[in-house]
Amino acid sequence: MTALAGRLRAQHLAEAAFRLRELGIGVALMVAIAFFSIRATNFLTAGNWQDIAKDVAIVVVVAIGETMVILTRNIDLSVGSIVGLSAFVCADTLAKHPGLPLVLAALLAIAVGFGLGLVNGLLVVVARIPAIIATLATLAIYRGISFQVTNGQAISAFQLPDRFLNLASTQPLGLPTLAWFALVVALVGAAILRWAPWGRDFYAIGSNPGAARLAGIPAGRRVVTAFALCGALAGLGGFMWAARFPNVDAVAATDFELDVITAAVIGGVNVFGGSGSVLGVVLGAVLVATIQDGFTLLQLSEFWKMFFNGFAIVVAVALDALVTQRLQEALRRRRRAEVLEQRYAEAGT
Amino acid sequence: MRLVGRLLVRWETLLVIAIVGVGIWSVTLSPFFLVRANLLDLLTPYVFIGLMAFGLTFVVIAGEIDISVASTLAVSVVTFAQLFANGVNVWLAALVGLVVATALGLVNGLLVGILNLPSLAITLGTLAAYQGLAFVILSGEGVAEFPTRYTDLGGGYVWGNQLPIALIVLLVFALVLGVVLHATRFGRYLFAIGSNSEAARLSGIPVARVRVTIFMLSGLMAGIAGVVYVGSFGSARADAAQGSLLDVVTAVVLGGVNIFGGAGSLLGVLLALVLVAELRNGMQLANLGGDTQNIVIGVLLLAAIVAGNVIRGIEAHGFPRLELRRSRREVAAGQRAEATTFPNSPKGR
Repeated sequence: MTALAGRLRAQHLAEAAFRLRELGIGVALMVAIAFFSIRATNFLTAGNWQDIAKDVAIVVVVAIGETMVILTRNIDLSVGSIVGLSAFVCADTLAKHPGLPLVLAALLAIAVGFGLGLVNGLLVVVARIPAIIATLATLAIYRGISFQVTNGQAISAFQLPDRFLNLASTQPLGLPTLAWFALVVALVGAAILRWAPWGRDFYAIGSNPGAARLAGIPAGRRVVTAFALCGALAGLGGFMWAARFPNVDAVAATDFELDVITAAVIGGVNVFGGSGSVLGVVLGAVLVATIQDGFTLLQLSEFWKMFFNGFAIVVAVALDALVTQRLQEALRRRRRAEVLEQRYAEAGT
Repeated sequence: MRLVGRLLVRWETLLVIAIVGVGIWSVTLSPFFLVRANLLDLLTPYVFIGLMAFGLTFVVIAGEIDISVASTLAVSVVTFAQLFANGVNVWLAALVGLVVATALGLVNGLLVGILNLPSLAITLGTLAAYQGLAFVILSGEGVAEFPTRYTDLGGGYVWGNQLPIALIVLLVFALVLGVVLHATRFGRYLFAIGSNSEAARLSGIPVARVRVTIFMLSGLMAGIAGVVYVGSFGSARADAAQGSLLDVVTAVVLGGVNIFGGAGSLLGVLLALVLVAELRNGMQLANLGGDTQNIVIGVLLLAAIVAGNVIRGIEAHGFPRLELRRSRREVAAGQRAEATTFPNSPKGR
């Protein structure tokens, strides 16, 4: 009875830590908004928020895929290159066949991303290459393929059908179409990570790969799935990218992986794997985009954003590690107390 | 131990064979390849990559990774250039650049060694943070017109105007660091920590201090690489060495350094650097662009890890798949036998 109660309390403690994390991001967001609205006059305008929403949308879609990979204690550095390549393939196809239904264009981009992500997954699982090295290599390889495919050319906005460009400019119910995409992806992603058995497996694998395997989870197949899904979402991100920034060339979305990983890590996805939520990632993406937008309005150099991204990753990782350590210590102390209690009880009888 | 020694010899022999092979391919591409001046100059544009790779070798052997080296180089170079442009003596400015690089390495080291944070995530963060910092220090423009006495370090020649000074710098560092890695107690510590850091800690190795030291060393080597970089390219910009991370990591991994830590040799890394330089040189002779080259180098990096995995697997277990199949069959046969002979045998038998 006491053991069960203890376990319940432990669960509460862990959940409280998560809530605290999301609360922390919320507070940081409030502070950022307050700061920028005082310093930058046009920060609180509706137009600016539409811009932020469009940026957030692309980051959220790709970051949810990245989250799945990080949950399994891996990382995907190649998402920027995947977004770039699928954006170009999608824009190029639409420029050549203006009558193509947008659904097919999106599916094409998703398929390209899925294939590239699958390659990443197979490299990590079958060839047993550490994810950071494998995706560092594919980052360069996919970007190289981009250069081959584009052949030095760029697609411009005027070559693309209006239906496609409207995705970025129309705002049904006050929210940009791209943001609706992100909302759907976030809801589906959250549902998968919360309820789908194979989604739960991502957490199990990341928490303890050995134990997950012993528990009968097909860890290899799940990790490949995570990478392939991450690639597919990066492909969808590429489709959205082409609509948002219609001048697509070989270097599109370079360094975008840093934005994505920053959003995920700030959003509380633990780089050791095993913990993180879609809500956190969305909040993280909003925070990153808000701060970057504020930097732009304050006319700070582009490169302060890069510095901020890196700094935020380091701080978030350090904070996470600290909280995890404390949490583990607290849990250990509780367990010890429980065991002692039990022994006393046994000694008493 | 003898087996490991033989394996290392074999890996390095393979590299030499590959170097000769690529050399023959290069000769068929251009009659100027086999000229003594060209052969001596082959490595000059890659010396800074080699120096960074030497630093990274120490980190990887100890089981960590530092992907911020190229960004560290950039900060060091722009600090140096900014000071020089403001009238500071060129040598003093270079020295400050080295100090800054070491300090950036120290930051990585403290975060990883003392706070026990994952080096992968931390150096990914500092990769972005340092790159942003470099742009903030020297925004956009470059500094050139350094005195020749200084640029000789990277682009000068001695011995009848044929032997590049940069090559001498590289070989001297290879020798010194090779001795440190393979013939000092500090070097042995790295192998011990990389093989099993917990065992190393329990046997009294100051693991935290060694970790801090290797990241400082990695930073310092990036700084020295920066000094040579400015010498050989004659200008300092914030995007210096951007995109060289792939070559650095490839040189280390292709050099036979175990990406999981615990094994590697500096000679291997030096040979791998020669191979990468020769390959890029050959591809340039064959008129292949930088991005096509990156695809080849990326594939080479992946292939090197797979080859290492396969060789280590054979070393440890013989041919793994055959054994797996045999043991499975044996297990199945055993179970069948048990089921037929002892249908009701108790579990504890």
